[in-house]
Amino acid sequence: MFRTQIIAASLCLVSFFSLANSGSRLTATGGITGFEGAAGGGITPWAFISGYGSKEEINGTANVQYLHLNDYTLTTFGASLGIYDRIELSAQRQTLDISSGITSSVFSLLTEGAINTAKSTRIDMDIVTAKVKVLGDGVFDQHSWVPQVAVGAQYKKHRDFDTTLLLPDGTGPLPNQGVARILGAKDDSGTDFFVSATKLYLGHINGFNLLTNLTARYTKANTFGLLGFGSASDDSYKLEWEGTLALLTSPSTVIGVEFRTQTNRLGGLAEEDTVTDAFIAYFPNKSFSLTAAYVDLGNLPMQPSSTGFYLTATANF
Amino acid sequence: MITYLKQTIAKTPVFALFTLVFWCMCGCTSTLTSTQPATQAANSLYDEIGGSKTLNTVFGVAINRIYNDPIIGHYFNGVPKSHLRKQLVSQTCELIGGPCVYEGKAMLDTHKDLNIKEREFYILVEYVQGAMRDVGLTYQQENQILQKLAPIKSETIYL
Repeated sequence: MFRTQIIAASLCLVSFFSLANSGSRLTATGGITGFEGAAGGGITPWAFISGYGSKEEINGTANVQYLHLNDYTLTTFGASLGIYDRIELSAQRQTLDISSGITSSVFSLLTEGAINTAKSTRIDMDIVTAKVKVLGDGVFDQHSWVPQVAVGAQYKKHRDFDTTLLLPDGTGPLPNQGVARILGAKDDSGTDFFVSATKLYLGHINGFNLLTNLTARYTKANTFGLLGFGSASDDSYKLEWEGTLALLTSPSTVIGVEFRTQTNRLGGLAEEDTVTDAFIAYFPNKSFSLTAAYVDLGNLPMQPSSTGFYLTATANF
Repeated sequence: MITYLKQTIAKTPVFALFTLVFWCMCGCTSTLTSTQPATQAANSLYDEIGGSKTLNTVFGVAINRIYNDPIIGHYFNGVPKSHLRKQLVSQTCELIGGPCVYEGKAMLDTHKDLNIKEREFYILVEYVQGAMRDVGLTYQQENQILQKLAPIKSETIYL
């Protein structure tokens, strides 16, 4: 139901913003909106500022996204502001739906089979990101190797860290313990710091434009923070790497692949793997873009092979 | 760290797919080159697009649109279209391997004190891109020409 509303709202947004001026930078150079709200690829920010605003313009974006991984479904939406092609501010709400199959298995494991059914649950998280372009012009500096570089901070806050998991009869044997807490997470919030270097090589591969991006992220997050931050045994920041390689195969089509490393703080059920995806993004004009991706997250609790489809719509205004 | 990364990434089907795409792209290039006659293979981008004749058409189309643009048209008041067209053709011809030598004034000098905004530069780029498409250049040729023209940005805006 919630999902249908979001999709309907996004369609309204798309049609509304089609009529608005969305900035003068070249098509596709605003990237898409990642699942955490920052502009770039689907799972990693780029150094490009969201939207199509030039140094003289302020532009906004709105997005809605859907990632389906069998027993886990992530729905997310948000908006961003690109200011003078220098500063990007974004706010994103993520909702992770976890099926009763997963929660039942977790209870069964914890109680050695004494409890083997539980209700489905959801984890809501808010994300606020600020990104600042510090140097370079990733599109027009074609005579130099210097990429465009941006630095960012990303604050994430759980809304369900203390939400009791319920059994079918409405009781909660582990009061005030959400999924992240049960799996051993220490904190309900955390701030990531990242540096992204992005460069577009025009006419590079057989005349096609090649986009390369590398992001270094300093983080305490467990599974992007959806499973909390830090653990009892490991509460330190770790450096993670993220990257994108993409080809612009036509003025309106981008295909590419991405990766993102994770640290395995919680271990056990919540062991984390390197995330990869392959995507195709469609930019019919500067008003909106649509992206479809195949994502491989590796292990999620009680689901060792988590692969699925990811859809994003971003509207620019 | 790097080795770990390589191993992890190399394992995934996504990476395999990506490698395939790139091989395909590179494969296309070599196939194309090898099937062309030797004289053609050595051709520059300039020759490939049809030389100055094509550039003349491209910039003719672009300049008409630029002069009529409500935001950037005024910068060209008093500049005859034919003069600008000649300059742009010879400059681009030289940049993409044609037998021309640009003898016009330096970009930095001609744009000094105009205080051209980045937004205005992008508008012009889109007219040139649009003209290349309308004249029938391929997307790849358009990208390669844009790659040569791109550094002009830093020689024209906010001077």
